[in-house]
Amino acid sequence: MKVKVKRKWNVVAVWKWTAPDDSCGICRQAFDGCCPSCHEPGENCPIVFGKCKHCFHMHCILKWLGQPQDECPMCRQTWEFQ
Amino acid sequence: MSSSITPARKRLMKDFKRLQEDPPQGIMGAPVENDIMTWHAVIFGPEGTPFEDGAFKLTLTFTEDYPNKAPVVKFVSRVYHPNVYKDGSICLDILQNKWSPTYNITGILTSIQSLLDEPNPNSPANAEAAQLYRENRREYERKVRDCVEESWSSDEEEEEDEDEDGQDGDDDDDGADGDAPDADKPDAAEQ
Ligand SMILES: [Zn+2]
Ligand SMILES: [Zn+2]
Ligand SMILES: [Zn+2]
Repeated sequence: MKVKVKRKWNVVAVWKWTAPDDSCGICRQAFDGCCPSCHEPGENCPIVFGKCKHCFHMHCILKWLGQPQDECPMCRQTWEFQ
Repeated sequence: MSSSITPARKRLMKDFKRLQEDPPQGIMGAPVENDIMTWHAVIFGPEGTPFEDGAFKLTLTFTEDYPNKAPVVKFVSRVYHPNVYKDGSICLDILQNKWSPTYNITGILTSIQSLLDEPNPNSPANAEAAQLYRENRREYERKVRDCVEESWSSDEEEEEDEDEDGQDGDDDDDGADGDAPDADKPDAAEQ
């Protein structure tokens, strides 16, 4: 299998996504919107904090926890909901 | 249409944007055409290391579980390194048990780049490389230089083949060069 260095450049395109600072570390979507599993911004897509003070979309952290990890994705402390 | 884009794909678009806006030194990557789940990347060997001037190609294969599961990352170029298997698989903790869903493609590629000059002797994937790294650094570096040279020469062959075939007839090839912001190195090596 070979990767063609030159060809690679053909696929470079400009994606119009904004990248605000206050975004979820897992999905990287802004907290003022919803997680990528939800379609309606704000609705039923709460933001949750751990005891370690890190916060994520609830839907995002729930997908990560228990498979079988139980660590905060940021600091690796055992995740406990605040 | 946007509602049919899965969380993994949305995340990969974020990663793509991030990599384009803030590309780390010596790292390039992009999804292959029409498939954002498969990426091709190039890591240039860090300056001041035996890997300097190497252009090592990789593939990254993502699943719909990304970012909750790490992608499968493999070198396509031959890389002589204590933590790289013969088939190009990489023994790197963040791709295995230390994966975190907060990592993105920039982080993955940067970690692999730093692994090049900072092998982890505790998890040898290439026993000979690990032994030479410990006991005969000069010979180790000679073997690394071999794969650095190989990383370019395989490109040249490929380009020659394409030119001779002439079947390509694809104007995009030339256009792409001009558009690539960081294409200096690959172009230089092809001449
Ligand atoms: Zn999220
Ligand atoms: Zn949600
Ligand atoms: Zn934390």
